[in-house]
Amino acid sequence: MKAYRIHVQGIVQAVGFRPFVYRIAHEHDLKGYVKNLGDAGVEIVVEGHEKNINSFLRDLREKLPPLARIERIKKREVPVQGFDRFYIEKSSPGGSEGDSIIPPDVSICDDCVRELFDPTNKRYMYPFIVCTNCGPRFTIIEDLPYDRENTTMKEFPMCDFCESEYKDPLNRRYHAEPVCCPVCGPSYRLYTNDGEEIIGDPLKKAAELIDKGYIVAIKGIGGIHLACDATREDVVEELRKRTLRPQKPFAIMAKDIETIKEFAFIGPEELEELTSYRKPIVTLRKKEPFPLPEILAPGLHTIGVMLPYAGTHYILFHYSKTPVYVMTSANYPGMPMVKDNEKAFEELKAMADYLLLHNRKILNRADDSVVRFVDGKRAIIRRSRGFVPLSIGIPFGYRGLAMGAELMNAFGFSKNGKIYPSQYIGNTSKVEVLEFMRQAIEHFKKILRIKKLDLIVADLHPSYNTTKLAMEMANELGVEFLQVQHHYAHIASVMAEHNLDEIVGIAVDGVGYGTDGHTWGGEVIYLSYEDVERLAHIDYYPLPGGDLASYYPLRALMGILSNVYGIDELEEIIEKCCPKAVESLPYRRVEFNVILTQLAKEVNTTYASSTGRVLDAFSVLLNVAYRRHYEGEPAMKLESFAMRGKNDLGFTVPAEGELIKVEEMFRQALEVNAAPADVAYSVHLALARSFGEIAVEKAKEFGVKNVGISGGVAFNELIVKTVRKIVEANGLKFYSTYEVPRGDNGINVGQAFLGGLYLEGYLSGEDLML
Amino acid sequence: MKIKLEHGAGGEIMEELLRDVILKNLSLNSAGGIGLDALDDGATIPFGDKHVVFTIDGHTVRPIFFPGGDIGRLAISGTVNDLAVMGAQPIALANSMIIGEGFDGEDFIKILRSMDETAKEVPVPIVTGDTKVVEDDIGIFVITAGIGIAERPISDAGAKVGDVVLVSGTIGDHGIALMGHREGIAFETELKSDVAPVWEVVKSVADAIGWENIHAMKDPTRGGLSNALNEMARKANVGILIREADVPIKPEVRAASEMLGISPFDVANEGKVVMIVPKEHAEDALEAMRKTEKGRNAAIIGEVIEDYRGKVLVETGIGGKRFLEPPAGDPVPRVC
Ligand SMILES: [Fe+3]
Ligand SMILES: [Mg+2]
Ligand SMILES: [Zn+2]
Ligand SMILES: [Zn+2]
Repeated sequence: MKAYRIHVQGIVQAVGFRPFVYRIAHEHDLKGYVKNLGDAGVEIVVEGHEKNINSFLRDLREKLPPLARIERIKKREVPVQGFDRFYIEKSSPGGSEGDSIIPPDVSICDDCVRELFDPTNKRYMYPFIVCTNCGPRFTIIEDLPYDRENTTMKEFPMCDFCESEYKDPLNRRYHAEPVCCPVCGPSYRLYTNDGEEIIGDPLKKAAELIDKGYIVAIKGIGGIHLACDATREDVVEELRKRTLRPQKPFAIMAKDIETIKEFAFIGPEELEELTSYRKPIVTLRKKEPFPLPEILAPGLHTIGVMLPYAGTHYILFHYSKTPVYVMTSANYPGMPMVKDNEKAFEELKAMADYLLLHNRKILNRADDSVVRFVDGKRAIIRRSRGFVPLSIGIPFGYRGLAMGAELMNAFGFSKNGKIYPSQYIGNTSKVEVLEFMRQAIEHFKKILRIKKLDLIVADLHPSYNTTKLAMEMANELGVEFLQVQHHYAHIASVMAEHNLDEIVGIAVDGVGYGTDGHTWGGEVIYLSYEDVERLAHIDYYPLPGGDLASYYPLRALMGILSNVYGIDELEEIIEKCCPKAVESLPYRRVEFNVILTQLAKEVNTTYASSTGRVLDAFSVLLNVAYRRHYEGEPAMKLESFAMRGKNDLGFTVPAEGELIKVEEMFRQALEVNAAPADVAYSVHLALARSFGEIAVEKAKEFGVKNVGISGGVAFNELIVKTVRKIVEANGLKFYSTYEVPRGDNGINVGQAFLGGLYLEGYLSGEDLML
Repeated sequence: MKIKLEHGAGGEIMEELLRDVILKNLSLNSAGGIGLDALDDGATIPFGDKHVVFTIDGHTVRPIFFPGGDIGRLAISGTVNDLAVMGAQPIALANSMIIGEGFDGEDFIKILRSMDETAKEVPVPIVTGDTKVVEDDIGIFVITAGIGIAERPISDAGAKVGDVVLVSGTIGDHGIALMGHREGIAFETELKSDVAPVWEVVKSVADAIGWENIHAMKDPTRGGLSNALNEMARKANVGILIREADVPIKPEVRAASEMLGISPFDVANEGKVVMIVPKEHAEDALEAMRKTEKGRNAAIIGEVIEDYRGKVLVETGIGGKRFLEPPAGDPVPRVC
């Protein structure tokens, strides 16, 4: 007879772990108890024969429930107490600052879907049906340990029926904290946009209203969506008007895989991702002709699609005639997605005709995640619901906070060799978003049990709100503060994900503040435990009007052209190639002339090496897009346009020393007589070849085996594929990120990695900012 | 340290120079009232039951003649306005001119006449002066000092939570007009500087609601409205929330600033006053401003709030709120 106390860390709460332990303890004839700890870990005490305890421990590791993950098991022999049974003990707040974490939100499981549509089941057509294997987690958890009273389900005391299932070790809802039924759980109500309740089955009615062409706000798991019939052009058009999104691609939710196959191609990896428990939005290649309205994703060759992930969605589609909904987050551009009922009535009045709201609070906002497969591998555009709060390993044990950048923000906490990136925060230039970020930071600190920080890391940009907030927090908390250059962080995120010692990285991006005060975004960088060095970059070109050049890329085009042509020649070139671009400026010709003067006299002109702006500029030159209504628009449309190109025109982007002369490619493009799609195609290839070849050359020079790519342009299929081929053809290893977002949504991971290099004395603060 | 242009641009970098260099080296800096260390628009010296207010301003504007004014009008207005926003009636001015060798005599006379005219507008006499000629090709610098008498000096640090923020007219006129003119940018309409003395506007409000009800005042010159509001928020340790749509801006100034990519909030005004008054006096103050010629476009633009102490927020309707930062010298792109 032996007794052991076992401390398990990992994802062991909210995943059916205790019932699992209960079961295997019984199977091996052991006595004792299992309980949740306040650090998200689990404590087990077992008594019995040594042999049985060993097989118990083997099963503990090998037969885990699907969502559980064990990071560490600590076992200590204790005196035998003589338990008479094995039971689940009440949770206790104890535990250490361990390595455990709650799981992400999990989409409804097959068993629950089956019950949902079983007329004899108590939870027939009940949208909040869950079990130990599925349902909301991150979005409803207020604190640890994971018990009902620490979730937003605390307002819904269980009925006898639910409680009997909850307490039955053989039931699949045994200790499923959000368990509920129509008698005791949350419920939906349907309202008009002035708050009047509509009588009748709210979900059925909502489905009918959507079929009739109305826009309905639907409260779900991590926030509120605006939903409408995605097959109707007039309705989608109306939604665009109301949400002030003239161009941004709308994500759609399709009833099932068969429906998706009617309008988009699905590869095997894409299928796996679409149907995973995360249920993200996956951008798929549209079929041609595209049977749905073109305005769902104007000018793009892809469409973002997701499958139903909550009971609500299944029920809506059950009643609905249309098998595809637009499901876009309910907010005006740049603002946080609305998640609370009160706010919904205030803020969605003008956007939604009806509101389908439930009475369970959403504690932690989580937008739908967005994923794209680039060159056959997963690239995460937005990492949120379903991913968060899972961690990414880094080889540094410090406790730190990495703030991310400004747009597409997510922050990350680093602790015991892991970084925990937050949910999608958004555009932090808005005070409302920054408020959300502050709350989310506090929440993460709480659930990660982080009391004292060693370091706060922010971007180098002096006017990012996140930089300022980081400084304030560092001051207040008396924590060391570090700023790191934006593109160093992008490349560091590749090192972090693959645990590399050194890399030659290609940072292709929109805009980041450079160590020289210029605006970077087309960089080849050496990064290792010894040094960081910018080896090559796109030759600076002027951006007349600064940020205006992001919104009106004609400005970027004129800036780049001014590197090879005289100011007086610009007018003629624009007139010849893209006269409509001038008309797209808010003040047309007058403004065009102002821009010429700005270039001539350097009035409010900044200098940039951004790859994003180069692609934007081609988008204008080739008359693909003149405006940026959403992040990345001109470059994304250029890529879609280039997909139709077939011939490589053999453009070259020469390098002179460390300068990559993109302006030469513009000259070649202006002199060639070819189909615009071929020009677009060739531009991508030429740019990628140039970056790829320089990176390979530098890697050989430095004796580095790894070449990586990151930044917002690393979502570009043509560029990534071309670079990868060059790297591999030279016998080097090619990397990008497949877990960490490649754009600014993932920069916190790179920041945290650099923070580790800094704290451990490998790199100095000057290395990272000068 | 080397002095850079940004050290005089009215932004954060200038603030650092003032605090870390100038104030650290000039230690005897108060005459019993508001002194140098307050970095206010002027100093106050208690005198019987009133206060002498004393201020000085150097003018180096280029070009010397610009649409809507010239360096002479600017030199008078600048100093008169610094007195006015301290709540002081201008009593007398001193005028120092530093002239580069070879400066055109006609232009010199034009400048003096313009000074005279502007001074009469207030009215305030120019009672003493100093003239220097130097070899360096500087054109002309005009430095004016002024004294005024205030019953009750008004600092820029008196804002209270719940107060209302007013501005006496359109914003950005001077800065944008000057930039357009200087760089030879052809906008559709020619822009004009707003350079003018604002004593009349200030006095009108004081007559209407009493000096004691003007909690804080500032002329939004260098660094523009952004800088003025930030200083007022920081010094009073309050938050300020303004509504973008309520800030008066001439359409042609808005257009020009949108074409240049420069915010009209960030550039100088030379004939405006920002005033913070208790809510119950806001409408009267507004009416009093609007009665005057120079205040006819006055508007209530926001309020003083409890949250975000030391910061200024702009409400942009459905676009949400953003921080209005004091301009930091060169603009840096941030839109990825
Ligand atoms: Fe970036
Ligand atoms: Mg002054
Ligand atoms: Zn389930
Ligand atoms: Zn129940």
